[in-house]
Amino acid sequence: MLVVSGLTKRHPNAPRPIFRDLNFSVLAGQTVALVGESGVGKSTLLNCIAGLETAEAGSVQIAELNMMALAEAARAQLRARSIGFVFQAFHVLPTLTVAQNIAVPLLLTRVPVAQHALRVETLLDRVGIKDFGVRWPASLSGGELQRVAIARALVHQPQLILADEPTGNLDPRTADEVLSLLLERCREQNTAALIVTHSAQVAARCDRVLTLTPDGLQGLSA
Amino acid sequence: MTLALWLIKAQFQTRFTATLLSMLAIALGVALGFAIDLINTAALTDFSRAMKSVQGEPDVVIAPRDSAASVPLAVVNRVARDPAVSVIAPVIEVRVRIIDEPATVRLIGLDVLTAPTVMPDLLPRQSAEIPGNLFDDGVYLSRALLARLKRKAGDQVTITRGDATWQTRISGDVPATRADDLIAVADIAWVQARFGPLDGVSEARIRLAANTDIETWKKSVAATLPAALIVKGAADEGARVSNLSRAYRVNLNVLALVALLTGGFLVFATQLTAVAQRSTQFALLGVLGLTPTQRMAQVLFEAIAIGIPGSALGLALGYALAFAFTRLLGGDLGGGYFSGSAPTIAAAPLSILIFFALGCAASLIGAAYPAWLNRTQPLAAALKTGFAHRPPRAHKRRCILLGVLALVALSLSQAPAIAGLPFAGYAAIAVVLVMGITAAPLATHVLFSHLSRYNLPPAQRIAVQNVAQAPLMAQVAASGLIVSFALTVSMITMVSSFRVAVDTWLDEVLPAPFYARSKATPLPQAALDALMRPDAPFAKRESAAFSSLTLDPSMPAVALLVRELNRDDPGARLPFTGPVITSPSGQTVVWVSEPMAELYRVVPGQQLRLPLLGRDTDVFVGGVWRDYARQFGSVVISRSDYEKLGGRFEPTDLALWPLAGQDAAAKNWLADYVKRYALEFSESAEIRRLSLSIFDKSFAVTYALEAASMMIGLFGLAVTLAASVWLRARELATLSALGFDRAMLTRAVMFEGLMIASIGLAIGLACGIAVGALLTHVINPQAFHWRMQLHVPWLVVSIGAGLTLLAGLGASRFAARQTTLLPAARVLGGVQ
Ligand SMILES: Nc1ncnc2c1ncn2[C@@H]1O[C@H](COP(=O)(O)OP(=O)(O)O)[C@@H](O)[C@H]1O
Ligand SMILES: [Mg+2]
Repeated sequence: MLVVSGLTKRHPNAPRPIFRDLNFSVLAGQTVALVGESGVGKSTLLNCIAGLETAEAGSVQIAELNMMALAEAARAQLRARSIGFVFQAFHVLPTLTVAQNIAVPLLLTRVPVAQHALRVETLLDRVGIKDFGVRWPASLSGGELQRVAIARALVHQPQLILADEPTGNLDPRTADEVLSLLLERCREQNTAALIVTHSAQVAARCDRVLTLTPDGLQGLSA
Repeated sequence: MTLALWLIKAQFQTRFTATLLSMLAIALGVALGFAIDLINTAALTDFSRAMKSVQGEPDVVIAPRDSAASVPLAVVNRVARDPAVSVIAPVIEVRVRIIDEPATVRLIGLDVLTAPTVMPDLLPRQSAEIPGNLFDDGVYLSRALLARLKRKAGDQVTITRGDATWQTRISGDVPATRADDLIAVADIAWVQARFGPLDGVSEARIRLAANTDIETWKKSVAATLPAALIVKGAADEGARVSNLSRAYRVNLNVLALVALLTGGFLVFATQLTAVAQRSTQFALLGVLGLTPTQRMAQVLFEAIAIGIPGSALGLALGYALAFAFTRLLGGDLGGGYFSGSAPTIAAAPLSILIFFALGCAASLIGAAYPAWLNRTQPLAAALKTGFAHRPPRAHKRRCILLGVLALVALSLSQAPAIAGLPFAGYAAIAVVLVMGITAAPLATHVLFSHLSRYNLPPAQRIAVQNVAQAPLMAQVAASGLIVSFALTVSMITMVSSFRVAVDTWLDEVLPAPFYARSKATPLPQAALDALMRPDAPFAKRESAAFSSLTLDPSMPAVALLVRELNRDDPGARLPFTGPVITSPSGQTVVWVSEPMAELYRVVPGQQLRLPLLGRDTDVFVGGVWRDYARQFGSVVISRSDYEKLGGRFEPTDLALWPLAGQDAAAKNWLADYVKRYALEFSESAEIRRLSLSIFDKSFAVTYALEAASMMIGLFGLAVTLAASVWLRARELATLSALGFDRAMLTRAVMFEGLMIASIGLAIGLACGIAVGALLTHVINPQAFHWRMQLHVPWLVVSIGAGLTLLAGLGASRFAARQTTLLPAARVLGGVQ
């Protein structure tokens, strides 16, 4: 599903690369936890995979396409089709309703409009905020917002979910609920997921755990 | 598409005021431009229609170049025999007065056989009560004239011109004349017998046989005619009518475009803040898969969503404005080219389309840079820390660019007019404004990096640091102010220079205390004799006669002024702009006005061939004098030279110097004559006052347009300054959480606003004076052929600058207080 090979990233003006020659892959439907110390480059790795940042060398294969070789517009289209993103800071559009927020990826992938309402309703139900569709994001709590973000990441049935500390801003109980939800839905839709986390509990519930250290990835064979 | 609509709707809801303001600014720009276009087109159409009503629609007209001369009958008879001529209608037109009626009347003598074909509108109607046939006897008066005189068919009238009088009967009316035409029509032979000219006619109006090529025929006939006659086609007439007011109309249109561009600037400010404010949202959309092009298009969509309703509203507003204006004030926008009628407003589909497109284009141009910025925002960084704009620190390149632009502006200012219009000058103005905008980032950088070295209070220091690091909004606010302040300063400078020049000029051209004139008909000899009697209380009297010379059929005629002045000392009466040269051999000498010198490229000391009195005459150009009254040129010749050439001096104007201490007596003495001959009497102070008030009126529309631009510019400043504060709501909240109180933060933001406004004002002032110099020294001479000295009205400019500073401070204060009013916790905890 996702094949990363030889990925090397160096920030401009930085003396040495953040990571060098990373190689790993994620199978379809597989959930992978990415752990590591703060500042080691986890978010950077996720951004490179999603094509939000460019890397110095290497390739990122998603759905038979090399993200690194694509032009910017094509990268955006590949993200729209194949990737769902969940952030630590929620990131929802404050000027759209909850339902509209969730429908945005559908609009970008040309799913027939007739199906939108049903898909959004179903997902709202599946992430446990059934009647929240007409509400504005400002009136939601953090946990609820992250459910909206998860629904948005899944609504267009991508092959890969990238989640950057999705529960980092939530209290432990809510974090647990939200994460269970994310994992369940991924398994349900047979979606692969790469989840950055600091929580050993979360890591334990994933199919695999990768540890990013300044010297490279560990736990490749786990 | 759905997503685009959602985002547009959300944007309009969250930034309602700014969006509405930019929409209104676009509407205002479109409305002003459209209204000016409508009024000018209507006035021009009306003017040509009025012209056609009296002149008919001949294919070709033969006329004397000198209005005091005539077309010899021999020429008329010869041309009449040309097989290509289907009808030739001779016409005699003289200005006359009807006793008891002060207004001047056009008496038109027609030939009853030919006039109906060529001038159907002038065809008289015999009254049923009057026996006999058309043109047997008497005159026929237009309805307007009958109404004014309160007379009817059968009444007697006395028509006079100079010393000639004609007592006759009103035989009927002229039904097809326009509502305000004061016209009398009579048989050409009667008019000729009473008022001359005996050996010719004023004009011969010709209809050619079908399928004759008018241009070819015109040329072949012109070759056989004496040089003092001119052959004009219908196209020449159209061009002349349009040339009469073209520069004025184009100038107003350019001003309206400027108002529209300032509207575009407001869209720029709005969309830039919109992009900055939503950078995180756009980055999120980018992560979700919105391509860079789509992100750019979204900003343009929003601009078009402002532009379309704005333009539509502007069209409606412009139409209403034009309608109300012509109803209330007639068709003249103050230039004096179209006075006296209320034309009908009609919008041509093409101009509707053009102004609609201009409105939309202004919004799109305004949104272009913000859209491009939105396209190039780095997604990952924008998600983490919001809007990022790293300005290129290429200050050296910028300085070089400024130098190059200055050279371009300088060379454009030296370029000649194109088709009589100062397009290069307008371009030079645009370049100067671009220079101002280019200099804004440099100035912000220099000022704010300099300020950061001072020991400012902490809040101010943070504000300064902020501008030094993220100068974009400050640059935008300063640029907007630069453009609008520069335009305002330049306009005020130009008008004030002009006014000062006209004021001095009036002093020079009005040396006598009293003036009396008999409009277009010559003064009766009896009146002139009375003035010359020894008991008349005048120390000195000078008279002048006017006629006109057509040098180029497509241009308005040049005025010929025959004056009683000392040909060896013309400087005593004429304000010369350069040296006065005496003619070497006692040859006929003329002094041409500045516009004449400019239009026909005449220099002092040269020989000039003028079509005087029906023949080409070589004259010597003794000098160029300043004339702000006649835009299309004038030539002064002394009475003695004119009479030596065989001209009859028939003065219409008098300049009078009463005997010392006898002003009141002289006025009394004159009153009788003024009444008897329907003269127009005025004192020089009165003429001065009137001229200056006409001058002010002619610039009223200019002022209105400038005020509109300045208002829009101030809105732009307020919106940008306020937005730059709102964009930093989080930062301000953080500061207040750290212990800064509201007053400290407000002061810091106001300090920042003050600095930015000062930059805008300083550069704006410099650009404004440069543009004012271009208007005064390039646009004015090229478009209107007037030259004058530059005069900057510092008081008005300082007041304007003060008000702008206050507006800037007010906007900053308002925004700061609004922003700090929100509880810090809410801002900091707010949804991204
Ligand atoms: N634009 C940048 N320029 C230079 N260094 C950067 C830039 N962005 C991030 N970094 C550095 O890259 C490293 C990795 O950051 P990040 O991927 O956010 O770490 P993590 O998500 O693992 O905490 C950090 O040390 C950070 O300082
Ligand atoms: Mg991180």
